Amino acid sequence: MSSMYMLIFITFGVGFAAWLLFLWTVKHGQYDDVEGPKYRMLDDDDDEQCP
Amino acid sequence: MLQCDHCLISFPEQGAVYEKIKDAQKVFCCHGCLGIFRLINDEGLEYFYTRRNEWVSGPVDERQIDSAAFADGIRSVGDEAETDLVLDGIRCASCVWLSEKILMRTKGVNFAQVNYATHRARVRWNPAETGIETILKRISSIGYTPKPYAIKAYEEEQQKASRDLLIRFGTASFFSMQLMIFSIALYAGYFQGIDERTKDIFHGISLLLTTPVLFYSGWPFLKGAVRGLRHLAFNMDVLIVAGAGSAYFYSIYQMFVGGEVYFDTATMIITLILMGRYIESGAKRKASETITRLLSLAPQEARKVLLAECGDETKIASIKRTMVPVSSLVKGDLLEVVPGEKIPLDGVVREGTSEADESMLTGESRPVAKTSGAEVFGGTMNLYGSFVYEVSRVGNDTVLAGIIKAVEDAQARRAPVQALVDRVVGIFVPAVLLLSLATGLYWLVAGGSASVAVMNAVAVLVIACPCALGLATPLAILIGTTHGASRGILIKGGDVIEKSKHIDVVVFDKTGTITEGKQALSFYRGYGMADDEALCLAASLERLSEHSIGKAIMTEANGWELFPVSHFEVLPGKGVRGEIDGKETLIGSHVFIVSACIGTSLENAFPAEVREAAAAAENSGATVVYLSQAGRPAGVFVVSDSIRREAADAIEILGRSGIETVMITGDGHETALSVAGAVGIKTVMAQRSPIEKAEGIKRLRDAGRCVIMVGDGINDAPALVEAEVGIAMGRSTDIALESADMVLMRSDLRLVAEAIHLARKTFTIIKQNLFWAFFYNAVAIPLAIAGLLHPIVAAGAMALSSLTVVGNSLRARLR
Repeated sequence: MSSMYMLIFITFGVGFAAWLLFLWTVKHGQYDDVEGPKYRMLDDDDDEQCP
Repeated sequence: MLQCDHCLISFPEQGAVYEKIKDAQKVFCCHGCLGIFRLINDEGLEYFYTRRNEWVSGPVDERQIDSAAFADGIRSVGDEAETDLVLDGIRCASCVWLSEKILMRTKGVNFAQVNYATHRARVRWNPAETGIETILKRISSIGYTPKPYAIKAYEEEQQKASRDLLIRFGTASFFSMQLMIFSIALYAGYFQGIDERTKDIFHGISLLLTTPVLFYSGWPFLKGAVRGLRHLAFNMDVLIVAGAGSAYFYSIYQMFVGGEVYFDTATMIITLILMGRYIESGAKRKASETITRLLSLAPQEARKVLLAECGDETKIASIKRTMVPVSSLVKGDLLEVVPGEKIPLDGVVREGTSEADESMLTGESRPVAKTSGAEVFGGTMNLYGSFVYEVSRVGNDTVLAGIIKAVEDAQARRAPVQALVDRVVGIFVPAVLLLSLATGLYWLVAGGSASVAVMNAVAVLVIACPCALGLATPLAILIGTTHGASRGILIKGGDVIEKSKHIDVVVFDKTGTITEGKQALSFYRGYGMADDEALCLAASLERLSEHSIGKAIMTEANGWELFPVSHFEVLPGKGVRGEIDGKETLIGSHVFIVSACIGTSLENAFPAEVREAAAAAENSGATVVYLSQAGRPAGVFVVSDSIRREAADAIEILGRSGIETVMITGDGHETALSVAGAVGIKTVMAQRSPIEKAEGIKRLRDAGRCVIMVGDGINDAPALVEAEVGIAMGRSTDIALESADMVLMRSDLRLVAEAIHLARKTFTIIKQNLFWAFFYNAVAIPLAIAGLLHPIVAAGAMALSSLTVVGNSLRARLR
């Protein structure tokens, strides 16, 4: 039985951490530009071109 | 003709600038482009040229930017300074890449990020090492125009509201997910048995998880419901709160008597409906950016001409000029405009000649000649010559301001549409409330105890609340729009789908919609020589001119070996003259050629059928130019804006599904009628200004018609907004794209019919979804009234209605 309580506790811990992370991303404007990043990800090879 | 290696513009060889860069011979149209090419190379950013796919740009604007206007926007963050700028001219992801890189390579700049969607740049720098002037200069050196970003109160509010909604929705999702773990355990416990202690603990945890969802995430609904009830209006919010609230409190009661709980119902209702709201708010935010973008069309500075003290206006050329802000100008001021510059305000040309590209206002692709006495409009682009003009309208009286106002008005009138659901809810909610009240009364009268009566009444409320309702509309719309996008149709929101259902008239703009929107050679014929030889002669001459007609002829002769031309001369308004093989060759208007061909008149020069064909072509809006060599007529060329190949087909498809088609245009009646006749449109509204186009649409709507407007320019923006549904064609301007409800990614008119079909189908699915969302619940209501509601029936009804709604929505993908 005690293993179940431990699992419940872990579930809460992980869920709560994910929720805090989500709040942090919203507050830092990570959802303000949802168009740009999909193009930005294609840019990772530019460092070879630029010394 | 050569092509500039930087801006990809085609230009005559005379002005070419050659330069050897990294062992490769490069050619540029001007020193500005060479400068930028060098700059980009020196920075090691030449990768830009390989990764750009499309480049749309005019000549680089080398004006000085006044940094004083930016001073207010600078904040200090620690020991760094930060500001937000709007970069004008950002078109693609390459622009974002380039401007970010160039800023990051500026000494002292620590952070630079450009938002692709809003064209907003955030720059942070060390004030000890660099200043705002350097940053602005860097940006304008690569061709983008930085503008101060003044955050408007309503914009800020909207952004805050959108963030708030996202947090509420996200929170609800996380807590619902946590809750689901325990709900499923409880369901399993219902079948397999569960010991009381665990059940109590799980109930307790469920209550703990549901409370924030209901009272934090559901706060907007609580507020809305209270506001609605105060006015005795049973809106959507009342139903949500009644459903979620009764499930919540009923569950708390059940916790104490040891029954089954419905906490998951309460959270699901709130979460799904918040998701729908969030999808909707994104579409709305995009719409409000239209106005900001329209405003940025107008330049902020103007070159004012100061009259000398003697006041001799005839010698404008010798007088001083100074840059002033546009807002300080008054009617009667004289302004100078140089090639490639935007015209700041409306006015009348006093001196100089040029051509202006007015397509952003009129949609007309042909440049308009501007000579003394001609009217020019603020926001349009001056192309080839410089001129001085007198300001006739300022501020809110300009044509551009009129268009902005029309867009604003029309957008303000557009109510957020959840009308269908609200209508259904408006009947359903009072009905359920009455039913629940009746159930309670029945049990009291039938001799039950008060607690049994109350519980049965609440059970009716809980089971009646359709939790799939929150899913029914957004899911169908999401799947419908995704499918549309894969077919090249972008639909901006759910209200568009609803409105498209009743469509019975489609109004097409002419230029750029029914027609291609660019000048092309549609017919040519040689006299006394082969047709191709005449075209080759004409192209040789036109290669040296910058005229749009010349460009059309050049395009046709692309790649041909052309004759060398000497003694080249442009006669503005008439044509061009040059010597080829020692023979005088002319190309130009009818009058010009007739006067130059000694001893002939046009009647003698060209056979009757050509004259008739030319006259017919001119009537239909085409331009006819003639070629002569050594005083003899040699050829005739017809340049016109050709009709899209699939236009007639598209009109026919629409006609077959019972939709009337109308054409609206700024062109004259004859031109309009000939184009309309060619594609099979019977009703034509000609000679309409942008505002009058919107009025035309309004009149149709007032007559009870449901109108789609299809267009492509800014001049259509008021009409696009005024129509029930505005559709913008693929290569439209930004403004048209944002004022439109639907966007066709491919310039194929047949997509209009397909879009209407898709919208109608999606709407049918929404209606079916609403039916299924209510159906299972409605079936379970009699059980609840009878006091026989088994918890498993409730759970089954909830799950089944959601599954049916999801399955039905997926049908939108089938044709």
